[in-house]
Amino acid sequence: MLKKEFKDNFKSFLIWTTVLIVIFLIVYSVYPFIITDDTVKNLDEMMKVFPKELLKSFNMDITTINTAYGWLKSEGFMFVYLIVGFYSSLLGLQILLKEENDKTIEYLISLPIKRNIIVRNKIVVSVIYIFSMIFLLGVFNYIGLSLSGSFNQKEFLLISITPLFVAYPLFAFNLFLSVFLHRTKKTLGISLGLVFFFYIINILSELSTKIDGIKYFSIYTLADIRNVISKCSINPICIVISCTITILFITLTYLFYQKKELI
Amino acid sequence: MNQTILEVKHLKKYYGDKLGIEDVSFFLKEGEIYGFIGPNGAGKSTTIRTIMGLIQKTKGEILFLGEPWTQNEGLRKEKIGYLPSEIHLYDSMTVKEILDYHESFYKKDIHKNREMLTKKLKVPETKRIEDLSLGNLKKVGIILALMHEPELIIVDEPTSGLDPLMQQVFHNLLVEEKEKGATILYSSHDLNEISNISDRIGFIKDGKIIKEDTMDNIKKDNYTYLTIQSEDIQNIKKEFDLKIIKEDNNTIKYLNNMDYNLIIKKLVKYKIEKLLIEQISLEELFSKYYK
Repeated sequence: MLKKEFKDNFKSFLIWTTVLIVIFLIVYSVYPFIITDDTVKNLDEMMKVFPKELLKSFNMDITTINTAYGWLKSEGFMFVYLIVGFYSSLLGLQILLKEENDKTIEYLISLPIKRNIIVRNKIVVSVIYIFSMIFLLGVFNYIGLSLSGSFNQKEFLLISITPLFVAYPLFAFNLFLSVFLHRTKKTLGISLGLVFFFYIINILSELSTKIDGIKYFSIYTLADIRNVISKCSINPICIVISCTITILFITLTYLFYQKKELI
Repeated sequence: MNQTILEVKHLKKYYGDKLGIEDVSFFLKEGEIYGFIGPNGAGKSTTIRTIMGLIQKTKGEILFLGEPWTQNEGLRKEKIGYLPSEIHLYDSMTVKEILDYHESFYKKDIHKNREMLTKKLKVPETKRIEDLSLGNLKKVGIILALMHEPELIIVDEPTSGLDPLMQQVFHNLLVEEKEKGATILYSSHDLNEISNISDRIGFIKDGKIIKEDTMDNIKKDNYTYLTIQSEDIQNIKKEFDLKIIKEDNNTIKYLNNMDYNLIIKKLVKYKIEKLLIEQISLEELFSKYYK
């Protein structure tokens, strides 16, 4: 069953990973040509005009986009969080639900396999694909950055693993949500909506200290890239919360899926 | 004495407030074919899906080989073969791939049986599932249900989409499985289909088993249609406490299970214009349970 699941989900993994890699490939290809002394000067002037809160939202107050690595730490990882978020959410919502939507669940359930094994196999495949996506992107970025100039390797490594703290909770939350749905029809809307909702909350929380507290309602807070950039370390609380949310929703999925009406 | 393979006790299923099945009880003895018959919506598929663990029972108990059968069974399902009314398989797989996939779930070697069934049913193994005709898809479903030589075979409206020749091949396969010792739960709304191979029959209506008997006993049920035409029909009517099938002017048609001598005795004092006794067909006999 694992082999089949890997095969079934390979295409979407390949598409989403390619999308991300192509974005970065374009950046690494064009960046050396657009960053000249004049553009650096203009960018610095432009940054002075932007409100501090806005710069903070894109980490531009603690980094510069004068280099490819600087761009990666600000806008670059915005794409990573969003695309990895979409992929993880969609995977979470669809991996179990697809069997019901395609009505293949009637066949799958007739096989000598328990429901929790079905859930386990699908989770294993998803966890590996999410990790692989982030790993492959990390390798690609490492090569790209190495060719573009020097960069802080420890900081890069830590930044590269931060999407995991967002991706796994999003996957687990959406997987749990899928237990209460019967068709995949609206899953794209739900996935995109959730990811945008969490991401926008995270951005808004940076804009004013008055609404700083709303960041606790966003899974993206767990990525905590600002902490990595400024202190070159990962806040262990983020790891703990990320693992707790993931384990909690996966456990709830196991429990509720046992009793789900599958037709 | 044959072992009880499957026992369903007072099974009840509600979908929220909506009734699925009210009270279904039956048992299957080893090596028998149990015809599970009822009109569309009577609760046949709900019963089967509850047994298969797709939906959760509201109440009741299911025993398989004497042990409680839960919704989350694993290895014990090796002993069950299931052919649903509509076959939905993985479209992008070829027939060979789905058969390989199926085979991978079973510990025992079932390859030989798979090859025998594939040959017998003439299934195009290189074709993708999405490219199969309804008949060929059904054949693949049959192979998947039988290839692991299950002890209990559950089939739900199995012959829809099969041509008469293939239906016969399928029935022969079931009889062969029965001869090998398999027990079969055969659900259908078509009596002709079921009566030829079933040992016992259970009728389900509105979520309840309304009659259960051996096929031989059901065939022996001495029902006839009794048509009487007479000018004294209103008085004759008082003589018979039978179900009226049709009534117009001076003619009445009964569903009759009375002894013929008794009928003659009752009618002897009246002037009869026409008396007709017709043998009831098996189909009509069953439809009487549904009314």
